Amino acid sequence: MSDLIEVRDLGKTYRKATGFFNHKEIIALQGVSFRLQAGETLAVVGETGSGKSTLAKLLVGIEQPDQGEIWYAGHQINCNQYRKTNQFIRYIFQDAARSLNPNQKIAEILHAVLRYSTVLSFSQREQKISQTLRLLGLLNEHANYYPHMFSGGQLQRVALARALILDPKVLILDEALTALDPSLRAQIVNLLLELQQNTGIAYLLITNQLRLVRHFADHTLVLHRGQCLDYGPTAQVFASPQHDYSRKLINSAQY
Amino acid sequence: MQLLDIRNLTLELETPDGIVRAVDRVNLSLREGEIRGLVGESGSGKSLIAKAIMGVLHQRWHISADRFSWCGEDLLRLPYQRQREIISRDIAMIYQEPSRSMDPTAPIGEQLAESVPDHLVEGVSWWQRGFFRRKRAINLLHKVGIRDHQSVLNSYPYQLSEGVCQKISIAMAIAKAPKLLIADEPTTALESTTQAQLFRLLASFNQLKGTSILLISHELETVARNTDTLSVLYCGQLVEAGDTAELLKNPRHHYTDALIRSVPEFQPELAFKQQLYALHGSIPTLQHLPIGCRLGPRCPNARKECVKTPQLERQQNHFYSCHFPLQRSADDE
Repeated sequence: MSDLIEVRDLGKTYRKATGFFNHKEIIALQGVSFRLQAGETLAVVGETGSGKSTLAKLLVGIEQPDQGEIWYAGHQINCNQYRKTNQFIRYIFQDAARSLNPNQKIAEILHAVLRYSTVLSFSQREQKISQTLRLLGLLNEHANYYPHMFSGGQLQRVALARALILDPKVLILDEALTALDPSLRAQIVNLLLELQQNTGIAYLLITNQLRLVRHFADHTLVLHRGQCLDYGPTAQVFASPQHDYSRKLINSAQY
Repeated sequence: MQLLDIRNLTLELETPDGIVRAVDRVNLSLREGEIRGLVGESGSGKSLIAKAIMGVLHQRWHISADRFSWCGEDLLRLPYQRQREIISRDIAMIYQEPSRSMDPTAPIGEQLAESVPDHLVEGVSWWQRGFFRRKRAINLLHKVGIRDHQSVLNSYPYQLSEGVCQKISIAMAIAKAPKLLIADEPTTALESTTQAQLFRLLASFNQLKGTSILLISHELETVARNTDTLSVLYCGQLVEAGDTAELLKNPRHHYTDALIRSVPEFQPELAFKQQLYALHGSIPTLQHLPIGCRLGPRCPNARKECVKTPQLERQQNHFYSCHFPLQRSADDE
């Protein structure tokens, strides 16, 4: 089996109480299927409320899917095996500054990740941390810094370090590049591309920036109101979108 | 006609660690009917300049400028009352994060009616004024492309989506038909389809009413597509200014060049998944600004002379401040 991740007919419905006995069902995601191979990037585009973030949450196991299956390298993933899957699939949040604990040093944050998911001893963990920091272009001394002592781009690197320290196979970037300044964004994009070439990591890029998608992603998935409208190689989706909505979306980025 | 003309605007803040010069001798000018873009990274002082123009900076900031003229009157030398009058008559601003810059405790209808200026209401008898204001508010909503005015007027800001809130804040801004509209990062919160709508809206006001627009953003590609002229800021210094097309074709400053080359859209020959061009290092914090040209430590072509702040040089309509500017491309000469 060559697919790293295969998602079949995934669906999620939220129930919202509207009275004592009544409830309203909100379909966040319906019938989404895709495959992701090692060393590839899949971009998920769509407006807010289209189910992009729900998809990411289902993949990392924050939420449980109502229907459909997620397969990872030939094994089906259950939500209650979270401890096992979180080593392979890691998640990066939109705002690095707000997703790191301000009371903990970087070393403490990274130690906690390793302590939770691996059986490494303290010295092995130390070694792993310094190795990961160097991989991301940070220094060993940065381990003793607090998050507020970093600049925006460095914080994003720290967030990346937290995700990459477990040597994941899949990295989910939920709007992680949107808020960055252009020159920082170029730096981080370069870093991600380099990592992909060296380690064959796969990315799931959730974004609004179609220009970046074009440069970065092998495959593109267009979501609209929880439904998958277009899915295919990026060049093909951009050249001949099948649905009106995707056409509108792609034209809006080029007008 | 020259609408806004600012020479050597300097904004300083006193901190416990000494004086921080957040904006360092920036020039900015706007003609009538012009759309000017202001590009820079976060912390480069874009929003500070906008706030200085609006006169809403906190008192702790020291504003000084050789010239700060609006339609020929120097705003900084006018008495405070007169200054407020002029600004509230002629300049309007759309703030970042529209839903947060509105009053959360009042419905949209009230807020919009309030933004209709008094001089429009003067001819109306007093018992009809409320009705008149409401009619104007509905009119404004139609102008910004909201058809379903009734439900919008009665709802509170938190009930509406960010895109609709952005349109409403534009409606508030154009209520007094300003000569200058300052849009501070109007698209960061929006999706790409709503972004396109918004820029079309701004462009139509520019064409129909001749409103000048100062468009502030950190995304070069969106600014480039929608503006006539462009000013590029880096850490509070004006790096380059000129016609957008000319500036994109022939950047003279290394920062502008890096900015253009880091955007995949401007690099048609860039291969798929190829490394983007990026300056090394990161943006210095305001407490640790380098002396001289602030790009210095990150500049690929920095030399000894760069510890002195370069003067703004001019070539036709193209301004740049660099000791060792990039050469024009050969086919242009």
